[in-house]
Amino acid sequence: MKSIAAAAAGLLIFAAPAFAQWAKVPDPSLPRTRDGKPNLAAPAPKAQDGKPDLSGMWTQELDPNGMPPGITTVESITGFVPPRYFVDITAGMKPEDAAMTPWAADLFSQRRAGRGKNDPAAHCKPHGVPAISVAPLPYKIVQTPKLVLILYEGESVFRQIFLDSRRPVEDPQPRFLGYSTGKWDGDTLVVDTIGLTDKTWLDALGHPHSDALHLTERFRRSTVGNLEIEVTINDPKAYVKPLKYTLKASLVPDEDLLEYFCAENEKDVQHYQ
Amino acid sequence: MKTKLALRFAGIGLLLATIPLIAHHSFYAEFDADKPIKVTGAVTKVEWENPHAWFYVDVRDESGKVTNWGFELGSPNILLRAGWARSTLKIGDVVTVEASRAKNGANIANAKGVVLNRTGQKLFTGSSQGTTP
Repeated sequence: MKSIAAAAAGLLIFAAPAFAQWAKVPDPSLPRTRDGKPNLAAPAPKAQDGKPDLSGMWTQELDPNGMPPGITTVESITGFVPPRYFVDITAGMKPEDAAMTPWAADLFSQRRAGRGKNDPAAHCKPHGVPAISVAPLPYKIVQTPKLVLILYEGESVFRQIFLDSRRPVEDPQPRFLGYSTGKWDGDTLVVDTIGLTDKTWLDALGHPHSDALHLTERFRRSTVGNLEIEVTINDPKAYVKPLKYTLKASLVPDEDLLEYFCAENEKDVQHYQ
Repeated sequence: MKTKLALRFAGIGLLLATIPLIAHHSFYAEFDADKPIKVTGAVTKVEWENPHAWFYVDVRDESGKVTNWGFELGSPNILLRAGWARSTLKIGDVVTVEASRAKNGANIANAKGVVLNRTGQKLFTGSSQGTTP
């Protein structure tokens, strides 16, 4: 049965249109249905140490209602749909749950007035966490017992999450992806991150955060094809209450990361007004 | 095999509704959605690089004067996943482009739609228009 499925998968790959090198290679670890397609509804796989295995290439779900009201959208034949929370992390929150401090509200309105031109991501800097998880390029999780790596296609950056019970860094040098430690809570990997530079925006609108942000992400893979990340933004300097929202990612089976370096041929900054 | 290729090109229309876009920049800081342009001309150059693929078109006006326009597409990573190849646009191909002009008056624009005149095929552009507000 296994070899028939593998052969069927091989046939499908050879029939597919030509693609970038290595971009489509069947993953032998994925359970398949009778027609050779990945069985995305199957139960989440387990790693050798018995923990759920988060490994795979993932991409954030899209949101057909992703543009906030009042923002001009051009009638476009490209049919753009943004990833959910890419534009606005407070989408769907009650206003009182998304209340900003005066410092944050002031910074936010400056950023809005600038129409995004001062977003570091608009100047080829990495998005930072958690925004990078909803940028419209995929990421690959590589799980080992004491270290989880996340390789983000956006800016080809890597993130390390240490599961070896090390103490959090003291007085961290602020950086784009921060310093992450994690531990299992049943089937959920709870990741804590500090040391995030306040340069990065939490979303395209420009929701701010301070460098005292304590970010918690709870990763749970419910099936082969679904990964949920429950995000908590704990940053009293910027938000009156902790912000909570849940990212839903889908597996991108049988594909691999491409390279992305913004500095390769950046031509827009010179035209910003 | 033939069916698969036919589906691939027909499917680009379906893909329009589902493919997300990279927005390394703010569209609205650079381009003006209220300054549309529609031109037809021959491709003179293609830059298939991140963060945005670009292609250049010689556009002839009524008096015969030729202006070279630059059009911005999405990231090649996005275009590849939407069915493009590096060779989809070739030098000499005649295209009709709908785009939003640069605010600063430069001869560049953010492409909304590209039609390959030879085949009538509508190409997904991966435009960041309508993303970062």
